[in-house]
Parts: sequence; C-alpha cells; structure tokens
Amino acid sequence: MNGWTTTATVALAGGLGATLWGAATGPLHRRAVAQNLASAVTAPALLLLAQGYGRPAYVDLALVLALLGPVGTLVFARLLAGELADGGQSPGGRGPTLAVAAYGALVVVVLCAVTGPSRAMVKLLVVGVLLVAGNLIASKALSGGFGTAGASAGKNAGQERESNGRG
Amino acid sequence: MRPWRAVRASGEVTVWWAALFALWLVLISTVDPLELLVGAAVSLLGALAARAGRRAVHDE
Repeated sequence: MNGWTTTATVALAGGLGATLWGAATGPLHRRAVAQNLASAVTAPALLLLAQGYGRPAYVDLALVLALLGPVGTLVFARLLAGELADGGQSPGGRGPTLAVAAYGALVVVVLCAVTGPSRAMVKLLVVGVLLVAGNLIASKALSGGFGTAGASAGKNAGQERESNGRG
Repeated sequence: MRPWRAVRASGEVTVWWAALFALWLVLISTVDPLELLVGAAVSLLGALAARAGRRAVHDE
C-alpha cells in the first residue's frame, strides 16, 4: 500500500460506489449520467494504480476505458434519445460531471509531473485528453446538446447547424 | 484541375499518416526498427481509411 494505491482505492470505493448506486436507482436521466461518470471515475483510478504498482503497462487499461466509456454513453444517448427528451427533467448532472473531469485532469497532471518529460508522459496526456474530452462530449450528448433527440433528429441537427452559423 | 486534386489527396493522407504514426510511437512500449516498420504500414492503412471515411461524410 502506498499513497497512489490508497488514493485509487478511496476514489474507487467512493466514486465508483456512488456512480453504481446512481446507475442502479432513480430516474432514467440520472442513471444515464451516472453510468457516464462511472468510467470517468474509474480511468483515473487505473492510472493511479499503474503508478502505485510501478507497472506502466497498466496505463493501457485506462486508455481503453477512456476511449470506450464515452462511446458507450453515446450509444445510450442515441438509443434512449426519445425517453431522455420526454422525461421532462432538467438535464442536470453538470456539477458532478465537471467535478469528475477536474479530478481526471488533476490526476493526469500530477502523474505527468511525477513521470517527467518522456514518451510515457505524452501517453498520459493522450489518455487525459481522451478522458476529459470524451466525458464532456458524452455528457453534452446525454443532455441533448447535439440536437439528436427523438425522431426529429435530422431536423434538430439542421436547426442547430443554422443557429451555429448565426452565432 | 486533376493534378491539384491529387496533391490535395496526397497531402491529406500524409497529414493523417503523420498523426497516426505519432500516436503509434507514443503508445508502443519499446521503439525498435520492426515496430517502426509495422507502425508506418498500419498508419498508412489507417490514413487511407480516414480519408475514405471523411469523404463518405463530406465529399469535396
């Protein structure tokens, strides 16, 4: 046990426990947000464990999770678009999403500082960018930010494109 | 017109190839000649697929 593995254990027990609970109970929208946060909480913990055990190869697990987690959320956002739009709930989940993104960025920055300039540091940065950007993009898709809700997906996307053009 | 299109196409594939090869270099554990050869080859495949994928969406 060292500081890295202790931090990872605490983050896994608290963060993953909370997100699993959130994904298993409650209204649909909160469950979708919670399952998105589950991978965003777990990937930094895997990075911390790789550092704690001195096994750089374990970083690959975090890389795969950072890549596939948001992809899975995008699938949910697409398949559940109608239900998510009909729920009548406010998008919500903004605070926890930003907090988890900040936590992931902090973990990556600390690990980069410990690793020092090298190929391993660039790899950590790649994982960090995938993790934070993927999480934010997937959560935006969940709250209908890309205008793909329901059967009017094409129409909404067109409207969004127009409004982007004006903005 | 045609030569200009060829230059643009090869330029796009080169940019994709460079990005993918850089990613390969970052993600491999040890850098040796065989890894570089395989990485250059699969990066070229990936670059061609990326251009084909982009053109399937925006044909220009």
